[in-house]
Amino acid sequence: MKHAVHTLRHVWSALLLIGVLSFLGLPTAAQERTLRTDAVTVRAQRALRDIGAQKTPLDTSILHENITHSLADILSQNSSIFIKSYGRGTLATASLRGTAPSHTQVTWNGMKLNSPMLGMVDFSLIPSYLIDEAAVYHGASSVEVTGGGLGGAVALGTRPARKQEGWDLRFVQGISSFNTYDEFLRVGWGNHHWQSSTRVYYVTSKNDFPYTNYRKKEYETNAAGEIVGFRYPEERNRNGEYQDFHVVQDLTYDTGNGNRWGLSAWYLSSRRGVPMLNVDYKTDSRSTNRQDENTLRLVAGWERLRSQLKLAARAGYTYTDLGYHYWGDPGGDEPLVEMIRSRSFLNTVYGAFDADYYLGQKWLFTARLTANQHFVRSSDRTVTSSSGGTANVGYDEARFELSGLLGVKYRPTERVGVGLDLREELWGRNVTPLIPALFVDVLLSRRGNLLLKASAARNYRYPTLNDLYFQPGGNDSLRTERGWTYDAGLEFTLGDLRLEQHRVGFRAEVTAYNSWIDDWIAWLPTFKGFWSPVNVRKVHSYGLETKARLAADLGRGWRLGLDGNFAITHSINHGDPQSWADESIGKQLVYIPVYSAAVTGRLAWRGWTLLYQWSYYSERYTTSSNETTSQLGVLSPYFMNDLSLEKAFRFRWADLSLKASVNNLFNEAYESVLSRPMPGRNYGLFISLAPRWGQ
Amino acid sequence: MLKNLFRYLLPLLTLTVGMTACMDYGPLDEEHFESSPNGVFILCEGNFMYGNASLSYYSPQTRSLQNDIFSRANGIALGDVAQSMTLHNGLGYLVVNNSGVVFVIDPATFRVRGTLKGLISPRYVHFVSDTKAYVTDLYDARITVFNPLTLEITGHIPLNGHKSAEQMVQWGDSLFTNCWSYDNKILVIDTHTDQLIDSVEVGIQPTSLALDHNGKLWTVTDGGYKGNPFGHEAPSLWRIDARTLQIEQRYDFPMGDAPSEVTLNGSCDTLYYINRGIWRMPVTAATLPAAPFVPHRNTIFYGLGVDPRTSEVYVADAIDYVQPGVVYRFSADGTPLDTLRVGVTPGAFCFK
Repeated sequence: MKHAVHTLRHVWSALLLIGVLSFLGLPTAAQERTLRTDAVTVRAQRALRDIGAQKTPLDTSILHENITHSLADILSQNSSIFIKSYGRGTLATASLRGTAPSHTQVTWNGMKLNSPMLGMVDFSLIPSYLIDEAAVYHGASSVEVTGGGLGGAVALGTRPARKQEGWDLRFVQGISSFNTYDEFLRVGWGNHHWQSSTRVYYVTSKNDFPYTNYRKKEYETNAAGEIVGFRYPEERNRNGEYQDFHVVQDLTYDTGNGNRWGLSAWYLSSRRGVPMLNVDYKTDSRSTNRQDENTLRLVAGWERLRSQLKLAARAGYTYTDLGYHYWGDPGGDEPLVEMIRSRSFLNTVYGAFDADYYLGQKWLFTARLTANQHFVRSSDRTVTSSSGGTANVGYDEARFELSGLLGVKYRPTERVGVGLDLREELWGRNVTPLIPALFVDVLLSRRGNLLLKASAARNYRYPTLNDLYFQPGGNDSLRTERGWTYDAGLEFTLGDLRLEQHRVGFRAEVTAYNSWIDDWIAWLPTFKGFWSPVNVRKVHSYGLETKARLAADLGRGWRLGLDGNFAITHSINHGDPQSWADESIGKQLVYIPVYSAAVTGRLAWRGWTLLYQWSYYSERYTTSSNETTSQLGVLSPYFMNDLSLEKAFRFRWADLSLKASVNNLFNEAYESVLSRPMPGRNYGLFISLAPRWGQ
Repeated sequence: MLKNLFRYLLPLLTLTVGMTACMDYGPLDEEHFESSPNGVFILCEGNFMYGNASLSYYSPQTRSLQNDIFSRANGIALGDVAQSMTLHNGLGYLVVNNSGVVFVIDPATFRVRGTLKGLISPRYVHFVSDTKAYVTDLYDARITVFNPLTLEITGHIPLNGHKSAEQMVQWGDSLFTNCWSYDNKILVIDTHTDQLIDSVEVGIQPTSLALDHNGKLWTVTDGGYKGNPFGHEAPSLWRIDARTLQIEQRYDFPMGDAPSEVTLNGSCDTLYYINRGIWRMPVTAATLPAAPFVPHRNTIFYGLGVDPRTSEVYVADAIDYVQPGVVYRFSADGTPLDTLRVGVTPGAFCFK
C-alpha cells in the first residue's frame, strides 16, 4: 500500500512537472506575439544527418558544470538514462530504455569504450569535465554510431577548445567533504594551423562519510552478558577511498585547404577501494580490497572537408590493465597478505573510415567501416595447480571485430525526411545478420516547429569475451542477442532557447518506444555449482521519454533556465520459466525503476548563478519476482536535491569564479542499491581561474 | 522585473516543494515471535554483495512457515550470504559468510543473544565442548577457535598451506574438515591440542562431509571443471574409515555429473546427496543407487536437509537465484508433503 501511495505521488510529481513547465511555457507564446509581430520564426533546416533521430545532446555547459561530476551524474540528471550507482566514487552503470549496462554502447572520438571483456562502461570513471561533446542516441538512432546498442549509445568527444591564437589556461581547485580534493588544469594553445589542448585532472578522496547504520545494532550487555539495550551504530563508509588521475591531450592540425589532422590521447590511472557493505562486520584491519585500472587510449585521425564530401580516417589503440586485489590477515602480527589477485590485460587496435556525401540539399549518403582487434589476457586468481606449483585461472583470447554501415538520408520536401541505415557486424568467425534502421520525420507545423519523428531498427549484440571464455563458466556456444525496437515522438519549439531573438524559449519532446530483446544473455547457476551465461531471457521494454527545456530573459539581467526530463520504463521479463515455481515472468527487471525524473533550475544574474538540481526515481525491486513482502525486496523511491551558487568575476587579467555547492540538501539517509551506504548532506567549494593572456 | 521573477519563481517554488519528498528509509520493523519447539530453520543465502540473506522457520506439525524471521525479530539485516547454522546448548549459531559474523540467537524468539566478530569469511561452526568451538573460513587459512560462553576468539589452527576449510565432523578426539577450493584433502585436527595432525587425499574439490554411525567419513567431490589448473576429473563419492584413515570405497560418477551435499539421516545409516535429483543409499551399499529418490524437475536443487527425528527430506530449489526460492518437503519414503516459498537462494537447513 505504501508503495502504491509512493507510485501515485511520483506520477503526480511528474505530471506536475510537465504541467508547470507547460504553464511556464504557454504564456510565452502569447507573450511572444505581443513582443514581436513576426512571432513565427522557422528555424534553420534540421540537419540531414539527424532525420528521425532520437538524440539527447548534452551541452558543454552542462558537462563542465561541476568538476566533481562524473558522466554518471550528468546522464542521470540530464537524460532518461537510469544510472545504477553503487555508492560515492564507486561503479556506476547505465540502463537505457530498461536494458542491461552492456546494451548501452559508448564511444570516444569514434572509438568504442565498452570493455570487450565485460561489455559495459563504468561511467563513474569518466569525469564530465574532461568531455566536450556528448550525445545520447536512443534506440534505433544508435545504429548510426555503432552496432549492439540494444538500448542505445552514448557518443563522447574531446577537442581543442576553439579556434584560438596563443595560450589559454584554466585551473580549477575543488575542496569537498570527506577529504575530497579535485584539481584540474587545462592548457590550450593555438595558431592558424595548430590547436592543442592538454587537460590534467586529479581527484583524491578518503570518502569515509559518516552514516547511521540502520541495518546493524550495537547491543548493550549487563554483567551476565545479557543484552539489555541497543543503539544503531554511527559508522563511516569503509574502504571507499579513491584516487583517479586523467590526462587528455587533443591536438589538431588544419592544413587550411580542408584537411585536418588530429591526435587524441587519454590516460587514466585509478585506484579505488571497494566500499564495504553496511551489513559487513569484518574489521578493516583484517581484510581489505582494491580495484586498480590503468588505461591508455590513443586515436589519430584525418578529416577532409569539402562542400559536398566529408572523408575521415582514424586509427587507434587502447591498453587497459585491470586489477582486483584482496588482502587478508595471515594471523599473528604478520601484515596482510594478498589472497586474491585478479588481473586482466586488454589491448585493442582500432581503425575506422567514414565518408559522407551530400548530393544537393536533399541527399546524404554515408559509409562507415570500423575494425577492432582485441587481445585479452585475464587471470581471475592464482591457485595451486595439480602439480603443486601455481597456475592462473583465466583465459587468453584474441578477437577481430568489423562493423560496416551504409546509410542514406533524403529530404524530398522541406517538411519530410526519410533515412535508412544498414549495418553489418563481424565478430571472430561469426557474422551478425543485417542491422537495418529506418528513420522518418515530418514537420507537422511550422508554427512551433512541431516535428514528428519515428524510427525502427533490428539490432544485434554479440557476447563479450568473458561471456565466452570466463573460467569457470564461459560458454562459447552463446548466440548474439537480438533486438527489435521502434519509437515515435513529437517535439516542438517556441521562441528562442538561446534568447537571442525572443525573451523566452520553450522546447518539449515526448517519445514512446517499444522494444523486444530475444536471447538476452544472463549468467545463471549450473549443476556444477558455478555460474554460466545462457541465452535465456526475452525482455519487452516499452515506455515514454519526455524532455522539456525553458529559457527566459526576465529583464534587468535576470535569466532563468529550466530543464526537465521524465521517463516511464517498463522492462518486463518474458522468457521461459525456469520451472513451475518461477514467478519472474511478466515482472519488471531487477533494479530498473518504472518512473524517473529530473529537473535542473538555473537562475542567473550579473555573474551569479544559482543552480538547483532535483532527481527522482521510483521504487526498484531486488528480486526477479518483484517480491514485496520482504523488507529488503523493494528499495523505496529516491529523491535528491542539490544546490550550488556561483559567482563569476571578470578582471582585466583573469576570469575568476567561486562556487559553493550543497549535495543531498535535506540530509536524506538512504540506500540506492541494497546494503550500500550513501552520504548525507555534503559540501564543496570550488575556485576556477583563467588568466586573460593577450586578450 | 520583480513581477516577472515572481511569475516564474512562484510556480518553480511550488514545484520544488511538491517534488521534494523524504526517502522512506530507517529502522526495520520489529516483531515478537514465540516459535514451536520442533521445526526447521531454513537459511537463505541471498545474493552475494546484496546483503539480502534471510532466515525462515517452518514447523512441520502445524505446517506453518515464517519468512525473514531474523530481521523481523531483531530489526536488523541478517547480512550477506547466510551460510550455515548449528544448534548448541539451546542457542543457534548463524554463520553469515560475507558479513564476517556469527550471530547467536535464541531458537524460540529468534532474538540475537550475542555476536562473534573478528572473522573474515566464516563457513561452518563446530562445537568441541561447551567452552570450545571451531569456525572454518574461506579466506583465512586457519580455523578460528572461540569460547561459546564468552564469544571470544581464543586461538587459531594453521592449516599447513591449505587455503581454506569447509565442513567439520568429529569422531572421538579427531575433527575432520574438507578443503574444497582448489584442493583435494580431508584434514585431521586433534581437538585436544588444536593442531593439524594428518590428512587424507581424495578426489578434486571435496564439497561436503558427513560421518555415519559406523565411524565412516563420507565426502563427495565435484571434480573441478574444464580448464581448472588444479585438474578436472569425474566427480566421486568417498568412504573413509575415521579411525584408520583408510579409504574404503570410492564410487565414481560419470563425467559431467555434479554431486554435492552429502547428508545423513538421524540414525546416520542412510546417505543422501544431490546429483540433479536427490539420491539416497544405505551406508553399507557397495554401489551407487540406480534410480533417484526424488527426480529433478527442471530445477537446480541447491540445498538438502534430512530431519534427524523423522527422516523427512527437505530440498531447496533456488529457481533463478534472484527470487524467493522454494523448499520441497518429502516424507521418509519420498512422498511429497509440502511446498514452501522461502527467501532468496535457500541453501542450508538446521533442525530444532
